[in-house]
Amino acid sequence: MNTLLVLDKDSKTKLSEDLKVKVVKTLEEKGHWVEVVELGKNDVSPCLGCLLCLTKHPGECVTKDIVNEIRKNVKKYSATFYLTPVLFGHFSSTIANVMAKGTGSHNWQVIIGFGEDIDDEEKSTFIDLTAKHHGKADIVHPGMNRQVDVFVSRSIEDNTIICAALKTYAG
Amino acid sequence: MLDEDKKSICFVNGSLRGKKASSLEFLKDVELRLPDTEYNKTFLTVKAKSKESYPENMLKGIACADTIVFVFPLHNYGLPGALMRLLEDYYQYIEVGNKYNKAAKVYMIVNCGSARPEINEEAIRVMKNFSRRLSLNWRFAICIGTGPVVVITKKAPFLDLKLKRAYAEMVSDIKSSSSEKKDNYLIKPLIPAPILTRIKNYYERKGQMIQKNHKPQQTKE
Repeated sequence: MNTLLVLDKDSKTKLSEDLKVKVVKTLEEKGHWVEVVELGKNDVSPCLGCLLCLTKHPGECVTKDIVNEIRKNVKKYSATFYLTPVLFGHFSSTIANVMAKGTGSHNWQVIIGFGEDIDDEEKSTFIDLTAKHHGKADIVHPGMNRQVDVFVSRSIEDNTIICAALKTYAG
Repeated sequence: MLDEDKKSICFVNGSLRGKKASSLEFLKDVELRLPDTEYNKTFLTVKAKSKESYPENMLKGIACADTIVFVFPLHNYGLPGALMRLLEDYYQYIEVGNKYNKAAKVYMIVNCGSARPEINEEAIRVMKNFSRRLSLNWRFAICIGTGPVVVITKKAPFLDLKLKRAYAEMVSDIKSSSSEKKDNYLIKPLIPAPILTRIKNYYERKGQMIQKNHKPQQTKE
């Protein structure tokens, strides 16, 4: 099983590094071959909202950056994991741009937000942003009924709990 | 030169679609209701270049404002990446100790591709969290369903009274010193769904958003 793990390299902390190591280890133990891609603000162009990737040349972005290359190979991944800092209850700009360009696996996506100072409302916003609108709940893009899971980590202990949860069904 | 007796307003256009942006139309609708004789206006547009942070003078424009109006399209049920980058840079600019107006009022106008404006809820929550983090004075949001369609129908009489009321309320609130809590405005197009679908398809073809021979499916509302 090929799995892509994308993380925001501009926001590395002790917490995010621990999360990355634990998630990769968990997935490898379950038989995944994990490809880690670390991207920063300067690597990814923002989505222009032109929708040409949906209409004129499906799957291909007008801006040619590394994300376009990831997007081309999206079908080879059984799962995509995004590790993102949570800012105001939102994905970081880097991860927002990567996600908006359709890099998520068509089967299974996992979005894990991290940050030691995330408050309860930001945590709730982040979870709702995914759980209420993605996968089967996506009313704007019907038919994209892949599995999408969301987790938030505020501590090393949370990382352990998230990985224990992943272990139960990541096979 | 800024007139220091005037209140300052910073309009942030969160769309990268240039003159084609619906957000720009909504921004102009509010801006035109606020006379230049009473307000110093600053206009900022997010940028597509990823290799540099937003310049300090741009961030200062937000920091000095008495009122900040964010206008943007919904992307992936949240904020566009370019706008998120601006918020990140602004937050960092404040975190390192730069001064800003903590009493600034914050408004937002968000438009989405769906006819259901309630899907903008999480984007509102993100902007409220941003305001709370910086102790800014969050006021309210105008959420517009099917933004591009509302833009091309808004001049027709009787179709967008709620939108006009929402604009009037925003302008009145900007002028007022009241801190009374206000509800968000949800603007749903009043046009029946089948007509709406045809208008939307026409707009999309004209804007080359879909191919000319594409036959769209009827969507159930």
